[in-house]
Amino acid sequence: MDFSVVELDDDLAAFVAEVRDFLDTYVTEEVHDEERRTGGSFNLRLHKALAAKGWIVPRWPVHKGGAGLDRVRERILELEFERVDAPSITLGTTRLVLSAVEKYAAPDLAAELLPKVAAGDVRFCLGYTEPDGGSDIAAARTRAVRDGDEWVVNGQKIFTTGAQNCQYTFLITRTDPELPKHKGLTMFLMPLDAPGVEIGPIRTVGGERTNVVYYSDVRIADRNRLGPVNGGWAVLRGPLDEEHFGGGADGGMSDLGIGTSWARMQGRAVAAAVRWAAAARPDGTRPIDDPLVRARLGEAATDVEGAIATPGPMHRVRVSEVLLGGAADLVDLIGPEALLPHGADGCVADGLFDYHHRFAQGTAIYGGTTEVFRNIIAQHVLGLPRPVYPASKVLTAAGPTRKDRG
Amino acid sequence: MPDLTFELRRNDYSLSDDEESVRQGFAEFFAKECPATRVRAAEPLGHDESLWHELIGLGAVSMAVPEAAGGDGATLVDLALVAEEFGRAVAPAPLVEAMVGARLLARCGGAQTSLAGVVDGSRLVTLALRPTSAGDRQLVPAAAVAPAVLALDGDDLVLVTSGAPGPHVANQGTTPLAWWTPDAGDRVVLATGVAAQRAYATALAEWKTLTAAALVGLADEAKRLGAEFTKTRMTMGVPVGSLQGVSHPLADVEIQVSGARNLVRKAAWFLEHEPAARPELVPMAFSYAARAATLATRVGLHVQGGFGFTLESDVTLYFRRAKGWSALIGDPRRELLAVGDLLAAQTKD
Repeated sequence: MDFSVVELDDDLAAFVAEVRDFLDTYVTEEVHDEERRTGGSFNLRLHKALAAKGWIVPRWPVHKGGAGLDRVRERILELEFERVDAPSITLGTTRLVLSAVEKYAAPDLAAELLPKVAAGDVRFCLGYTEPDGGSDIAAARTRAVRDGDEWVVNGQKIFTTGAQNCQYTFLITRTDPELPKHKGLTMFLMPLDAPGVEIGPIRTVGGERTNVVYYSDVRIADRNRLGPVNGGWAVLRGPLDEEHFGGGADGGMSDLGIGTSWARMQGRAVAAAVRWAAAARPDGTRPIDDPLVRARLGEAATDVEGAIATPGPMHRVRVSEVLLGGAADLVDLIGPEALLPHGADGCVADGLFDYHHRFAQGTAIYGGTTEVFRNIIAQHVLGLPRPVYPASKVLTAAGPTRKDRG
Repeated sequence: MPDLTFELRRNDYSLSDDEESVRQGFAEFFAKECPATRVRAAEPLGHDESLWHELIGLGAVSMAVPEAAGGDGATLVDLALVAEEFGRAVAPAPLVEAMVGARLLARCGGAQTSLAGVVDGSRLVTLALRPTSAGDRQLVPAAAVAPAVLALDGDDLVLVTSGAPGPHVANQGTTPLAWWTPDAGDRVVLATGVAAQRAYATALAEWKTLTAAALVGLADEAKRLGAEFTKTRMTMGVPVGSLQGVSHPLADVEIQVSGARNLVRKAAWFLEHEPAARPELVPMAFSYAARAATLATRVGLHVQGGFGFTLESDVTLYFRRAKGWSALIGDPRRELLAVGDLLAAQTKD
């Protein structure tokens, strides 16, 4: 057990200063404005500047386009990036898919793409969810049919966040509907500029833009396949497990699960609420002088600390529910001013409370809903019997039929 | 306003080999020596004298005392691990009070004679959890088995010793509670003024941390009892634990308890190594663990249906003590106010 301070020697202090200077330069008010307007969670100038520093893949050696950072410096970079609320979704999905590309892409494809990823020119998004599939991504119906050295893809995906920013989507397809549900799947890196790919924007109440992506007779080369035909589930599980469980222990430099940034986001909201409460109103009184206000702030801070301390798949559920519940509570505490968005007359903390309350709703859905994770906790942590559903292991009538294949 | 400060802390909740062996040693002891039958046999007093002496023999109190004061000098993290296993067994013994009392005596240098008896088990000392004043009575944990009570009486930290422990008062938690008044025996002043306030505040923080750890162990076992039942109990042809109406509440318990465990250990670590750095962690950990114990025992009982509600079911032992232990210090929501008070104080810096 160790919660001690990492001593900042001159070198490390210089690195912190370098990161802060970089973020001041590239994560400007204009970037935040663009983000509020478009919800794209991506900024090209920032992304290219990160690439120039080697910070897309900070642990990679310099000659491969990384920065050769150690884990402490990488952690500093992560936390500082988060602190200034830099747009991060496309960066995150790119890094997530990168590990599957390294592991499963044919050597020539990997040799082509890895340097481009490090240079910021190739970015990846996730093509998992289908409109009638939700979190059950193994039920994918998007079909890929082999035709010589090519595959012909037909179907649609939804919530392909960042597709408008990316060159490829990490696509899960059904290549054999006769096989059991998890066995007939194959993964591809689908070029988003291929003929027959159509991206349609979807806006969310959280302000983010996501997409529906239609695939109509899209022809892609077999070289874009990742891993074996019908072996896609194992290929997908790598990034999925990373998305679900986060990294392991590494000298206390990692979070205990995934989604900790949402708990830290709520931590920043609590800090902003404390500042709001400590400011004097026109009549000279301060909200924080009211014990009810202090108790509620204390509860909110406690929930953040508890979420950060929660391990494994439990972490995933708690961090998003702390943001969800906490953001709603802070609106109640502050009152109608908390609902005023950035730029509105009288908005509090630059509109942070309005934004967080809306944004929070999606966090219990991304990467699998919190119910999926409760199932994981029930089965893998508590050892409870697996529920039996008609389509746990097999495709149901809603899945592709022989007729659809024609 | 730019944030010019920078602090990076490690975030490592893993146990060292030494810590793990302490935890495992006590886990094995309680599993072997303190089955539910022994817990039941000690009711309604909630004290098993021979179990208590076995714990003394294992060094459970001496480990709480610094080496300089003649103890074995374990860390508060070690003590929290022991308290967690103690809670898992809902052991009928005044472990947390004895540990905290011994440490408080050790902190007040002049009380060495009292301390020796506490460490060897010949003398049991407990702690009044609320400041007291003449004629004012309060319920004190373990006062039905301990003849000596440490208390903050006005400006004085006192040790009040009677000829015999107070009469046990029946309580839902089946713990050795007794009503106690400061004028109930011989009064020795151990410290006065600021020194007394500080020593007492530290003892309360330690009591909260170790009780929180015990509540985590209690909650974890209540959850396990509930979960085990649902694995084999069938309804409509499937195990009830496969139904999400049952499994998801149990998952919620796991979420709360696993977080509480780490939060309590973190609070213990800071109390041991950097007590001034994060004082809010103690009230955070206590309220979080109290919430975990309330939730875990409620769900652990409920998922066993009618059986869970019968006296025959062991989860009722846990249900009773969840409040029996956590209610002693007052409303856990007051702890949240204490966190808020610390947040407010920081704004004045």
